[in-house]
Amino acid sequence: MSRVDARSGAAGGSAEARRTLMRGVLVFRWVALAWMVTIAVIDAGADEFRREALAWASIGVAGAWTVWLTVPARRWGRVTLAVDLGVCTWLVVVSGLVVFEGEVVGGRAFFASGYPFAAALSWGVHDGTKGGLAAGGVLGLALIIARPLNGMPVGELPATEIRDLTGGIVNYLVAGGAVGFVSILFVRSTEALHRATGELVRERERAARLAERESIARQIHDSVLQALSLINKKGHELARLDPIPGDGVAELGRIAEKQEQELRAVILRDPELPPTGRASLRAELETLAGELDTFEVTVSCVGPIWVDRNVAEELTAAVRQALANIAEHSRASRVSLFAEVEGGRILISVRDNGVGFVYDEAALKANGKAGILKSMKGRMEDLGGSMAINSSPGHGTEVEFAVPAHGKPEG
Amino acid sequence: MTVPVRVLVVDDHPVWRDGVRSDLEAAGHAVVGEASDGREAIALARDCMPEVVLMDLKLPHVSGVEATRRIIDESPHVKVLVLSASAEEKDVFEAVKAGASGYLLKSSTSDELTSAVARVRAGEPVFTPSLAALVLDEFRRIAVEVPGEPALTPRENEVLKYVAKGYTYSEIGEKLFISTKTVQNHVQNILTKLQLRKRYELMRYALQRGLDQAP
Repeated sequence: MSRVDARSGAAGGSAEARRTLMRGVLVFRWVALAWMVTIAVIDAGADEFRREALAWASIGVAGAWTVWLTVPARRWGRVTLAVDLGVCTWLVVVSGLVVFEGEVVGGRAFFASGYPFAAALSWGVHDGTKGGLAAGGVLGLALIIARPLNGMPVGELPATEIRDLTGGIVNYLVAGGAVGFVSILFVRSTEALHRATGELVRERERAARLAERESIARQIHDSVLQALSLINKKGHELARLDPIPGDGVAELGRIAEKQEQELRAVILRDPELPPTGRASLRAELETLAGELDTFEVTVSCVGPIWVDRNVAEELTAAVRQALANIAEHSRASRVSLFAEVEGGRILISVRDNGVGFVYDEAALKANGKAGILKSMKGRMEDLGGSMAINSSPGHGTEVEFAVPAHGKPEG
Repeated sequence: MTVPVRVLVVDDHPVWRDGVRSDLEAAGHAVVGEASDGREAIALARDCMPEVVLMDLKLPHVSGVEATRRIIDESPHVKVLVLSASAEEKDVFEAVKAGASGYLLKSSTSDELTSAVARVRAGEPVFTPSLAALVLDEFRRIAVEVPGEPALTPRENEVLKYVAKGYTYSEIGEKLFISTKTVQNHVQNILTKLQLRKRYELMRYALQRGLDQAP
């Protein structure tokens, strides 16, 4: 698992934690809805309503809203939260309108007194303590407003009513605040758990890589010993010749150089052994760099980068074309290959210190010289990526390839 | 034309020292001393008054990292350019933390070596593209794992990326419309942040140990 994955893992953990809590609130909604219908049927039977149609319409809205929320994969955003608070606030307010004046809420069970808690709970889950308290406050305010609508001006409420009203407001606040607090704790601990799991996975991968590295190192030792004895033997042979041929000595240098590179790659750096079906971009680029001796090629990568094999093939093919182009036109003495993953994209930069040119796609096309360019660009576009060229005479050329890090986006 | 620089060469392989000496002298620099281990390097840095110390990291007795730290402590004006066969991240960061102004691989060409000596003497931090990539990686890891610790500014990030892409400081200056000196300052600040970051790590480690052992 790369670091990027580990990070999104922790974030995924918090999202998952919130979804779990929201599912709990949803169960509460259905129970509250059932209770609401039951009480309303009883009240209607006893002729307790002054606006029965409005009561049933409000229950219908709450029911439809609950059904909509039950559809899987609903995402809780600002709009959903606002609508939810609106529906729940309406249920509280409407209680003042549907029963006969002076009958409201107080000491008896009322159909709309359960469901509105859902908004306080949802806000708490989504935004923590502050969110829960805010929604609870709005619902409390609705409780106050419901009184005058029921023909009981707030200033003239009897002591029992004031007690009930205050109790109701406190209930909403406490429910929202408490759930909010619990939500924060739950989300935090889930994130920590995800992070720890990610670290464990990385530790294991590291151990496996180290074991693999040891076995490769053993194989390399053999090849180093072989190269050394070859240099030893050839060196003595050359020393006996007069004059000593320059290309023979250069050959010795090449043998030594090749071994040096292999050793460096294996022993001095964490080997980048990719997961099945994927390739290490650094290894691919280093192989490419090793193929060339027209100019010096350095490879630098930010961290290990894994790419699917087919993507790796296209990328290296494009880089190879860029290098061939440099060899043919640029008169460069040095080329830098740089790769990184940033913002969900794999970026590869091929930069030379050659003569540079005025990049003019139209002019290149007109002269029939856009072939390689088109081919490189086509490879990138097939992968859902792009290519950019940055050059001016005397300042070298930089070709930058960019492809999505997680395959071509759908659609 | 490069200004001649007084250089102390530190390496435990005599053959390697000879090679470096002839490269440097061919380029007009003066090799004022050769040391074969860290202890000798510290003593010669005092006696021979070099401007630049070319330092190998794997040395007998006192390590190259420790020798670098001691030399810079005693004579802060002396620049240390690390020249090592190792591309290991740990060595790179240890050397930078110890105050080295630059890091070159032994596989660098003699031209690169002699010009790096002159550049380090002139106060320019010497970064190889691969070192720049390692530093970028390190800072991105910090940003993810421990938010709030010294991070790179967007401009520093940009500069470091250009270094990793193989641009020279003057080329980067042209790209970003700033002076070469400003680019060097950015790179110097990046090095300082890296050193600071190492200190944070040590502090955190000490704190954890302290808490664990509390009665």
